[in-house]
Amino acid sequence: MSSLSAEMRDKLRKWREENYRNSEQIVDVGEELINEHASKLGDDIWIIYEQVMIAALDCSRDDLALSCLQELKRQFPDSHRVKRLVGMRLEALERYEDANKLYDSILQDDPTNTAARKRKIAILKAQGKSTEAIRELNEYLEQFVGDLEAWHELSELYINEHDYAKAAFCLEELMMTNPHNHLYCEQYAEVKYTQGGLENLELSRKYFAQALKLNNRNMRALFGLYMSASHIAASPKVSAKVKKDNVKYAAWAATQINRAYQVRERAVGTKSPLI
Amino acid sequence: MAGPELLLDSSIRLWVVLPIVVITFLVGVIRHYVTQLLHSDKKVDVQQVSDSQVLLRSRVLRENGKYIPKQSFAMRKHYFNNAETGFFKKVKRKVVPKNPMTDTSMLTDMMKGNVTNVLPMILIGGWINWAFSGFVTTKVPFPLTLRFKPMLQRGIDLLSLDASWVSSASWYFLNVFGLRSMYSLILGQDNAADQSRIMQDHMTGAAMAMPPDPNKAFKSEWEALEIVEHRWALEHVEEELMCKDLNFGGLFSRELKSTMF
Repeated sequence: MSSLSAEMRDKLRKWREENYRNSEQIVDVGEELINEHASKLGDDIWIIYEQVMIAALDCSRDDLALSCLQELKRQFPDSHRVKRLVGMRLEALERYEDANKLYDSILQDDPTNTAARKRKIAILKAQGKSTEAIRELNEYLEQFVGDLEAWHELSELYINEHDYAKAAFCLEELMMTNPHNHLYCEQYAEVKYTQGGLENLELSRKYFAQALKLNNRNMRALFGLYMSASHIAASPKVSAKVKKDNVKYAAWAATQINRAYQVRERAVGTKSPLI
Repeated sequence: MAGPELLLDSSIRLWVVLPIVVITFLVGVIRHYVTQLLHSDKKVDVQQVSDSQVLLRSRVLRENGKYIPKQSFAMRKHYFNNAETGFFKKVKRKVVPKNPMTDTSMLTDMMKGNVTNVLPMILIGGWINWAFSGFVTTKVPFPLTLRFKPMLQRGIDLLSLDASWVSSASWYFLNVFGLRSMYSLILGQDNAADQSRIMQDHMTGAAMAMPPDPNKAFKSEWEALEIVEHRWALEHVEEELMCKDLNFGGLFSRELKSTMF
């Protein structure tokens, strides 16, 4: 049955490398792998323990998380990485004070440890203290400007606070570093659309178009393009030329949407909504 | 220019050539593990990490700034380059020149480097010279001039002998450099047994995460950013997009569900 364990191992590795969050599946596959085939894993077992532990915390499987954690603690007693996992378990049990103390001790030892700082901000977010979380995250980003995960998190926090201008700034950082990622373009366009105002609508239309150019199958961007174009066309303040252009864009988007529905009908055979 | 072909005793091959290869290889492996044992973690300065990331961001702004709107680009350029308040103009880092004699961490690193690399080479080179002297070991496949004779034929005082015939000491040195690829095969890419790489490191100087002078890096980045112009990539994106129909290939197949949004 070694091919089965190899298959499971490959699946776990793929999920780990591509940052999937399918915790239930990871727990299923990982638990079986650890219990039945531990001997065949060699040194991979430690990173699998870490992956399964985090997934177990997601699924409220504290028993599994604790057992993984104990194995890791036994093997790597002084590791900061393991300490962070201990902290994460404390967070899952809502023992935020203890978790905070733990992360502070890590930071005292190693002030450049970004993982501990980010966990502290996550605690603030979990406790609902979004203004403090935003402030801490801003300070963190002042020091570590290159952390894309943090920029994305900050943009989300700003969107929740309805501070769209600042969210747009964060998304611009992301777009610059990943110019080929259509999802960032699309999110940026949505934020601009929400901000409203003629200039922002134009920008949002452009970025919806860019997202569509990067990925022809992005349906949300197609609908966004249609909405922003029609919105601009319907606005009383635009010149005739701009109005004509936007009507043309909206018409094109509408035809494409119809085409997509037809493709779907052919593929699936039903007339159900696209989104 | 073919000199007389010497016929060497085959026991030379058995008892000299092969043992030297084996010894060099084993010493290299031992060196690698000893270096790993003595290796101390480099303490990274927060300031340095932060500075290197700032420089990275500025470079990204220069290269990919055309994907963000003109105003955002102008805002960021202003943040970096403004004459009074710009980051690259305002921030001056205190540069402590790392004197190798007084800086303790660099001193210990140098000592460790010497002990693990140079010392064994000298010791073993000398032992081989003493143990395996007085006879030629092998012939290099290309002709050499007479200048090389005293260097490569230690212990053999034959004036008429072709310089291509070398003694065991030179075979040892040949091995030290030749077994590099063997080390990377067995020990992985980044191994400490790789002598020549260490010598290369000595040449390039103390280049760690950041060049030792952040101020110079800031200045060059400032100059580079000054001359960059913003040419918006999205100027004609609608025309480019709408010149043909969208490609919905595979839109509704099972695996691609996730790319819909």
